[in-house]
Amino acid sequence: MPVSQLLQVRDLQVEFRTRDGIAKAVNGVTYGVDAGETLAVLGESGSGKSVTAQAIMGILDTPPGFVTGGEILFQGQDLLKMGREERRKVRGRKLAMIFQDALSSLNPVLSVGYQLGEMFVVHEGMSRKDAKAKAVELMDRVRIPAAKERVGDYPHQFSGGMRQRIMIAMALALDPELIIADEPTTALDVTVQAQVMDLLAELQRESGMGLILITHDLGVVADVADKIAVMYAGRIVETAPVNELYKAPAHPYTRGLLDSIPRLDQKGQELYAIKGLPPNLTRIPPGCPFNPRCPRAQSVCLTDLPPLYDVTDESGAPLPGRGSACHFWKEQLHG
Amino acid sequence: MGRYIIRRLLQMIPVFIGTTFLIFFMVYALGDPVAAMFGDRAPDPAAAAQIRRDLNLDKPLWQQYLLYMGKIFTGDFGTSFNGRPVIELMREAWPITLRLALIAVFFEMVIGITLGVISGLRRGKAIDTAALIGTLIVISIPTFVTGYVLQYLFGVKWGIAKPTVSADATFSELLLPAIVLALVSLAYTTRLTRTSVGENARADYIRTAVAKGLPRRRITIRHLLRNSLIPVVTFLGIDIGNLMGGAIVTERIFNIQGVGYQLWQGILRQNAPTVVGFVTILVIVYLLANLLVDLLYAVLDPRIRLA
Repeated sequence: MPVSQLLQVRDLQVEFRTRDGIAKAVNGVTYGVDAGETLAVLGESGSGKSVTAQAIMGILDTPPGFVTGGEILFQGQDLLKMGREERRKVRGRKLAMIFQDALSSLNPVLSVGYQLGEMFVVHEGMSRKDAKAKAVELMDRVRIPAAKERVGDYPHQFSGGMRQRIMIAMALALDPELIIADEPTTALDVTVQAQVMDLLAELQRESGMGLILITHDLGVVADVADKIAVMYAGRIVETAPVNELYKAPAHPYTRGLLDSIPRLDQKGQELYAIKGLPPNLTRIPPGCPFNPRCPRAQSVCLTDLPPLYDVTDESGAPLPGRGSACHFWKEQLHG
Repeated sequence: MGRYIIRRLLQMIPVFIGTTFLIFFMVYALGDPVAAMFGDRAPDPAAAAQIRRDLNLDKPLWQQYLLYMGKIFTGDFGTSFNGRPVIELMREAWPITLRLALIAVFFEMVIGITLGVISGLRRGKAIDTAALIGTLIVISIPTFVTGYVLQYLFGVKWGIAKPTVSADATFSELLLPAIVLALVSLAYTTRLTRTSVGENARADYIRTAVAKGLPRRRITIRHLLRNSLIPVVTFLGIDIGNLMGGAIVTERIFNIQGVGYQLWQGILRQNAPTVVGFVTILVIVYLLANLLVDLLYAVLDPRIRLA
């Protein structure tokens, strides 16, 4: 994989020290994003996709969560080596995050204008009055109707879609270089999901920022992402440009995910589901963590942890950006 | 908002009538105030009958109640059996108790909230454990025990404070009684604040505030405390009413001639007009405190809409 200039996560390790033992939530994740690029991180709940994002943002709950290894290079600087105050100044200004549930993620007792304007007051030392004008501007930008009248309203007075737009506006406030969107549409109606995703994609095109889109919704990914990283049990199991992944996945887990999308032409048939459950992160099995659920599993899968192999086409020519952490990626990809 | 207040005030009328009738009933129908006037002596039947006529006590109870209520609204709470108008007793007693209650609430606010915020932010640390144990001890000891102990220690043994309060009930004299009065509520305030801060600290919007790159101080004050203190403020509002009514024990210990003292005397001597009069005002204080709290709630939490 070519090294990305904007954000490069290298061999990141995160663990949660709980009463029931150490949960290894992230086990050597490596991925990168460039300016103007959208990386979709795909995976089930507990795959470590959100934890990785929290580690990048520096909002991991510590304790119990600890980054135990790796680097997070943002514009060439390792965020993990920064002082607390230095890192705070990066947050919100250069690196912003959009959360899943806008209702609980916005402060219920402060007006949206206040919460938006706060970005300018804190990071740019703007006066309250100017910040409020900026807040109206932002609300216009994310197309909230009657922004001027609504700037003093509270989060609960907005609809779900409008609230998520406010979250987006907040992330956009200081024109960050990179936005991490953690399941930004999961809590929304399907019709509103599309609107919010379109808005996000459009704003990204306008500003040229990088975007990490964390999701478990394969439908959302196809439309907006440039490349995909699939995570399982705290590891990246497959990386690929978006179209290639949909056409020909190189990991049995990705295959399973794609097969479990309901399709209209299969109406009446039982839905496909990957057998079993993701492993308990305090007791990840040896070998490939996917082996208990994998239809292709052989004895080697029970003992050897597969690295992220470079994936090639049938003639052996490298496929740029593609990788698979499966001992049998060739069989999976080329049959 | 205006309509809401009017509706709430109207709702108070039946509550007010119900509670005052109940106390009226208990004092005048279940007890015999005329017999009480004679103390231990057997009442002279002719004199007793005369008194009953003068005080309307020969009429049916509901009529007595209506006559009494009618007079209240002209400011006439009747005359205490020892000859002083009840309104005069009130003029002396209420300012003292009000002062005592306000000082007590002030202690609750400053000490209770500060302690609660600190232990809520440092959950599981030594200071949190100390606050938890300390408040538990305070809650489990009755006021008359802490009252007498502190009175003995501060007032008698060390001589730091005056052991009893003079008729003037000056601010400095009321400090120690106010602490005694506040202590249990203060412990509850601390615990409520601690729980509220602890819960809100884990809320999603705090995570958002961190992700926005806000300084920690701002997150704590503007985001965390603004939300955490809503239940605490409403608790304190209701507690003002409680403290005034609940000051009986404290006022007895420190010989403060406030509402609690007068009520105590009134009950002891079956001094019916005093008891009914003071309780009537207490009912009004409670009702207004509750209304105030509801209004305050709406101001603090925009999600509460008053309609």
